[in-house]
Amino acid sequence: MRSALFRAATFTVAFGSLAAAAALAPTPAFAQNAQAANPASAFVNDNMHKGLEILNNKSLSVEQRRVQFEGFLLGLTDMKRIAAFTLGQYRRGASQADQDAFGNAFQNYAVAVYQSYFAKYAGQTLRVVNSQERAPGDFIVTTEMNSPNDRTGQPLEVDFRVRTDGPKPVVVDMSVAGIWLAIEERDQFTSFLGQNNGDIKLLIQYLSDLAKQFK
Amino acid sequence: MRGVKGLILGVFCAGLTACASAPPTPAMLAANDPYEADNRDMMVFNGKVDRYFVAPTVGIYFVLVPDGGRAAVHRFLNNLTLPTTFVNDVLQGEAQRGRYTLERFVINSTLGLAGFFDPAGSRFSIPAHSEDFGQTLATTFGAKEGPYLILPFLGPSNPRDATGLAVDVAIDPTNFIPFKQHIWWAVGREYSTVLDLRAQTFSTVQGIQRSSVDYYAALRSLYRQIRAKGILNGRPAGADLPDF
Repeated sequence: MRSALFRAATFTVAFGSLAAAAALAPTPAFAQNAQAANPASAFVNDNMHKGLEILNNKSLSVEQRRVQFEGFLLGLTDMKRIAAFTLGQYRRGASQADQDAFGNAFQNYAVAVYQSYFAKYAGQTLRVVNSQERAPGDFIVTTEMNSPNDRTGQPLEVDFRVRTDGPKPVVVDMSVAGIWLAIEERDQFTSFLGQNNGDIKLLIQYLSDLAKQFK
Repeated sequence: MRGVKGLILGVFCAGLTACASAPPTPAMLAANDPYEADNRDMMVFNGKVDRYFVAPTVGIYFVLVPDGGRAAVHRFLNNLTLPTTFVNDVLQGEAQRGRYTLERFVINSTLGLAGFFDPAGSRFSIPAHSEDFGQTLATTFGAKEGPYLILPFLGPSNPRDATGLAVDVAIDPTNFIPFKQHIWWAVGREYSTVLDLRAQTFSTVQGIQRSSVDYYAALRSLYRQIRAKGILNGRPAGADLPDF
């Protein structure tokens, strides 16, 4: 039980690094035939290759790579939708201005945290192993990440939750070893708001300060 | 070892009863965490124990034991848990997972030199997993987790998992091997387990603390999610996820 918790912690610090981690794999090790007909798994498979190209492009400076990766990440995910989800019940009482400001702060926070970790995952490979449609247009794409430094030989399960009911597929959540990023963030944010009379402006300030620490 | 853990659980339960008079707020109830105030106090206490007693020795452990040695210690300690995992596999009716556990234990205890090496995984590709009685209570008996708790010294839990921990300790076969100085074996194993876990997660825990808006809530969420994942025994979690 305790080891499960600590393993959870191990894998989750890097909540923010999931997309980056996946994209850092040096060789395209995705299973080409895994759920090829499924639009969500094809979306995950294709975009991991694009992320790879950015992160393994030695001709880019560190700053250029950072900017390109940020653009890649924002194009892959629906940050507004994720931000709204993480507010939980506090979204209902929030003004549109507060929601918009929170969306911006959340995006800066998420991108900063993601980028601070992705270097740890250099050399890992990822392959799509399964995909399930939990509801119409709502897919969970299961992948396996293999690390050359992992002595256990056990691949790490990384799941992507993909919505395909919009103009284009988007990632709305990611999970490492069963821990979902957006759910964990929602739990944190609603706890923070519960202790601060639902003051979203305070949360926005807190997220902005955290984002600065990571830059 | 059983005595020590039993004492910890007993002290905790007594403390919980004493502290339970503080009325929970609606937010605490919504988070299924009516003892949040006491839990936060306990997290601070555990943090001090970690800072003053565990973390310093983790540094020494890093200096004295090289990377490969620490990995071998981790494998050895993990191998000791397999009999308990096997019992829980059986109780959950997981025949194939039980077979894997038994095979891993036999192979790693012999060819793997008491578990310091992992030929079951590296040579025979037998997958590893862990199982405990808290998960058995959930899968076999349908027990709900109950309110979130932070146990002294042991960290995040809940009534179901705390009960499961007590049962796991009670059925651990190493407790039934009679030999002199058993207490030193028990204490040494427990401390090594703590040291191993902290050594593996030292920088990671720092990272969570650094990036968290609310570290307490982050740990609570991590604990619940990883437990829910463990209870599924590899089955997909799609139906349990919230809608976006």
